[in-house]
Amino acid sequence: MLHDDPRLYPGGDRAIEVELGDGMDFTLNFMVHSLAAAIRKSEIRGLEDLIPELASLQLNYDPDMISYEDLGCEVLRLYDGIRGAITGELPSRLITVPVLYFDPETTNCILDYRNKYPDKVSDPDLVANLNGIAERTDLARIHAGTEYWVAALGFWPGLCSLMPLDPRARLVAPKYNPPRTWTPKGSIGIGGALTCIYPDKTPGGYQLIGQTPVPTYDAAQRLPAFRDSLALFRAGDRVRFRPIGPLEYTEIKTRVDEGQYVHDIVDYQLFSVDRYLRWTKSIADLPANAGVGK
Amino acid sequence: MTQHVVTVLKPGLETTVQELPGRVGFLEQGFPLSGPLDPWSFRLANLLVGNHRDTAALECQLLGPTLRFERDGFLALTGADMRAKLNGSDVPQWQTLPVNAGQVLELGAARTGMRGYIAVAGGITTPPVMGSRAVFHMARVGGVALLEGDTLPLGTAGPDLALKAVPEAIRPVFTADKFWLVDALLGPNDDWLSAEAVAMFFASDWKVQAKSNRTGIRLSGPDFSFAHRALHKNPDHGQDPSNIIDHGYPLGAINLAGQTPIILVNDAPSTGGFINPFTVASAELWKLGQARPGDTLRFRAINRAGAATLRLTLDRATQADVLTTP
Repeated sequence: MLHDDPRLYPGGDRAIEVELGDGMDFTLNFMVHSLAAAIRKSEIRGLEDLIPELASLQLNYDPDMISYEDLGCEVLRLYDGIRGAITGELPSRLITVPVLYFDPETTNCILDYRNKYPDKVSDPDLVANLNGIAERTDLARIHAGTEYWVAALGFWPGLCSLMPLDPRARLVAPKYNPPRTWTPKGSIGIGGALTCIYPDKTPGGYQLIGQTPVPTYDAAQRLPAFRDSLALFRAGDRVRFRPIGPLEYTEIKTRVDEGQYVHDIVDYQLFSVDRYLRWTKSIADLPANAGVGK
Repeated sequence: MTQHVVTVLKPGLETTVQELPGRVGFLEQGFPLSGPLDPWSFRLANLLVGNHRDTAALECQLLGPTLRFERDGFLALTGADMRAKLNGSDVPQWQTLPVNAGQVLELGAARTGMRGYIAVAGGITTPPVMGSRAVFHMARVGGVALLEGDTLPLGTAGPDLALKAVPEAIRPVFTADKFWLVDALLGPNDDWLSAEAVAMFFASDWKVQAKSNRTGIRLSGPDFSFAHRALHKNPDHGQDPSNIIDHGYPLGAINLAGQTPIILVNDAPSTGGFINPFTVASAELWKLGQARPGDTLRFRAINRAGAATLRLTLDRATQADVLTTP
């Protein structure tokens, strides 16, 4: 659902919102990151910050160095150079995140919210019902049955927006209304068609289905995965969730607390956009109810 | 080196080290800019002690800290008037103050305004994190708010420091009538509101809620109505009319979450799933750092040319040559 041409909207006197399309899908997000890469490479004078998001990017600029109009023209020119180029290979790390599905901490958090809002259906049941899944175990199996694409980062240091790469594992859920005032660190949530991992104890709105003992953000940079950055994920990484039991959860948590944990990161693979799109097409041609899905 | 420090005797209410221009370049990883909420007062404080105007200094909120200086030097107090005392005697804001080793600076509750600034000659030299000393307290980036017993390292002051003052006529004014006129621009998402709601926004009084902080200034006021585009949209945007597919949040954006407008200030989320119909002009952001809970905001629509004039005026007002000799 790409627009014919990017649409530009001013965000005050120091930012531009560049909207590439209307919707949430891999192709659109890939174009966002392609345009972000082209903008970075062109080293535009006066560009201060660049935020690639799901279907749009925000550019922050110094208006005393470049005008809104000139920056807008430059972005459209760069877009013309990549228009329709949904192709290529890119380095993509695969990060495996252990998850205790339906863990006690998020269960307590949900109970805490339901004490205030008794009409709220428990998050795992809500997600299962809305997606036609009978059992919680099936929900966990489907959620862990796909790789996820790190489509964007933001809202909070280290918070990632994950898109399931296997269309059969697409789960949707509404966000909390009103939002939660707190969410346990490491919670796994589903909101819209996205999964996120809460990097810290923060407010939130995604439906909670589990918790990881593994940090995705560390201001103190204790573990080796945080040597270069306070945040674990980069856009274009892939994430896979590995279901674990309470014993392994405790064991991993202990290793994290002792500073001994080494994140499971595979860093030798390329992601082929062409082969991925061919694969999703081949899945779409399969009979219904085949594969990891329902 | 222990004499080259400031010791925190009482921390105040979330006193933080801030620096300009903030943590530039990391928004895409979710790190906000941070930096002082009132850069006008912040820069004047630095200029008064002979620092570059963007040097790291302290931002105090509503209730200031008590600090002991462990070496001779100079300091300056600007922003909210926190009834400062140096070794028990009242000291004025908006001018260079000599301080001797062992003297104690005591700040109280803000009389007017919301945030006070303390600059020290030589600047604060906490280690930069990701290119900046600005503290994002809630995520512990660049440190946290001051704690009792903390010591702050100081840099070396310039050789010849003249005592200076900011004349009253050119200081930022923290209104006594609790009313602020704030210039703002349309966009990025004004087309998600009805034409009536856009007109209503600029014609209404907005009260600052107590639940405001360095991440956002929450406002109370009338309800918004929405345009067709917000009411009939791709379900990927979410169910509420104010929901949009997650996008970047500009600094100063007036973010609409349901029916609550929240002005996104320096520690605000970098992205999120609500629309931003309006954005405060960058040169007007300082007002948001000084507006107190219960104060009233009224917004006035300006264009980019108007915002550029305001930027130039503010830049001129924060140069060393505006200072006078008392």
